[in-house]
Amino acid sequence: MNMYVKQRIKTKGNIMLENEILEEILYNLREINDKLDKLLLKKDEDPLLNKKVKPDDSLDVMMLLSLPDHLRTTATTLFEIGPATAEDIAELTRKERAVESNYLNQLVRMEHVEKYRSGRKVYFHISSKIC
Amino acid sequence: MTFTIAVHSAKGGTGKTSIAVNLAAAYALDGMKVCLLDMDMRGPSLCTYFKPDPDSVSFWVNDLLSGKRGINEIIYDVSGELKIRGKLSVGYSNPDINEIRELASKDRKWQSNALKNIIIGKKELIRNETDVIIFDTGPGVEYESINAVAASDIVLIMKNSTRSCFECTEQLYNGVYKCLNKRCVIVNNMHHCSLDGKIAEQENSEIPVLATIPCMCNIATRHDEILALSDQEHEFSRAIYAIKQKLECFH
Repeated sequence: MNMYVKQRIKTKGNIMLENEILEEILYNLREINDKLDKLLLKKDEDPLLNKKVKPDDSLDVMMLLSLPDHLRTTATTLFEIGPATAEDIAELTRKERAVESNYLNQLVRMEHVEKYRSGRKVYFHISSKIC
Repeated sequence: MTFTIAVHSAKGGTGKTSIAVNLAAAYALDGMKVCLLDMDMRGPSLCTYFKPDPDSVSFWVNDLLSGKRGINEIIYDVSGELKIRGKLSVGYSNPDINEIRELASKDRKWQSNALKNIIIGKKELIRNETDVIIFDTGPGVEYESINAVAASDIVLIMKNSTRSCFECTEQLYNGVYKCLNKRCVIVNNMHHCSLDGKIAEQENSEIPVLATIPCMCNIATRHDEILALSDQEHEFSRAIYAIKQKLECFH
């Protein structure tokens, strides 16, 4: 057999081997995909797996110290006087009611503070999750 | 109007308890209603000063912080024993090592509630017409100490003459007291006259110095006495009265 024929047979063998490997990879990928689909379905059904894990957002004195100045003053005042309206806080911090209302709502979004309505007034208090 | 003082320092061994106890006694000697609370939960020392009968102390400052008891259940009147005109009540921190260990493991939620309970206790003392509340704290950035600082009207910063104490006090001032909008005053304790020049260079001009108490060996040897009561002519006692008088400007 001459060298040219020998080379053709070798190349043909390599191409066949590569096709087999690719087929095997494809098969494995399909398997992984199926397993992932099953896991995703299971996650949607399981309330425990679905639960959002929240960082510890307790408003303690060290957290107070790490807040920006404007929010710290508002939060410290709220700590001192207990449940209060934005107006109560503004009276003590000598800022505008609207400004304090904005700061308090920022603290609510950060989950350090909670708010509730009593009659026509909205009260804020340090998050009860820590009580 | 109730005035709340937190006696705090950056470093240990600056004489916080000694100043807190004597200052409380000086106020009570003047006929005032005083409440002294041991907030040095990791190294309690008021029991050593007042030596209460172990059977008579049912509840501790620990119980106030955890919300198990109110302030009126954890303070004990010592005015009778001390024979003073005013009223001095003391809240002890539990010196039992198991209690101290348990406290060291408390998490942020517990500490957050502890601050709420201190503030509730303070409001109750205000309702009871207490004139002065003094928190004797532990050194540095301990949770219980910073909670006490947060609940106070003024911080009496105890300092000694060492460079490390000066540097740590600066850090505390900028990183804690200022952030919490606290008024601060300094008492230089165990002062060495030979360091006067160096100390003057170090002083923070933002914080007024209320007193400079020299280092006196006989204070150490008379550690189980409340000098402000037992030896009113002593240089240390006179310094205490001077601190008390100067603090009145801040009431």
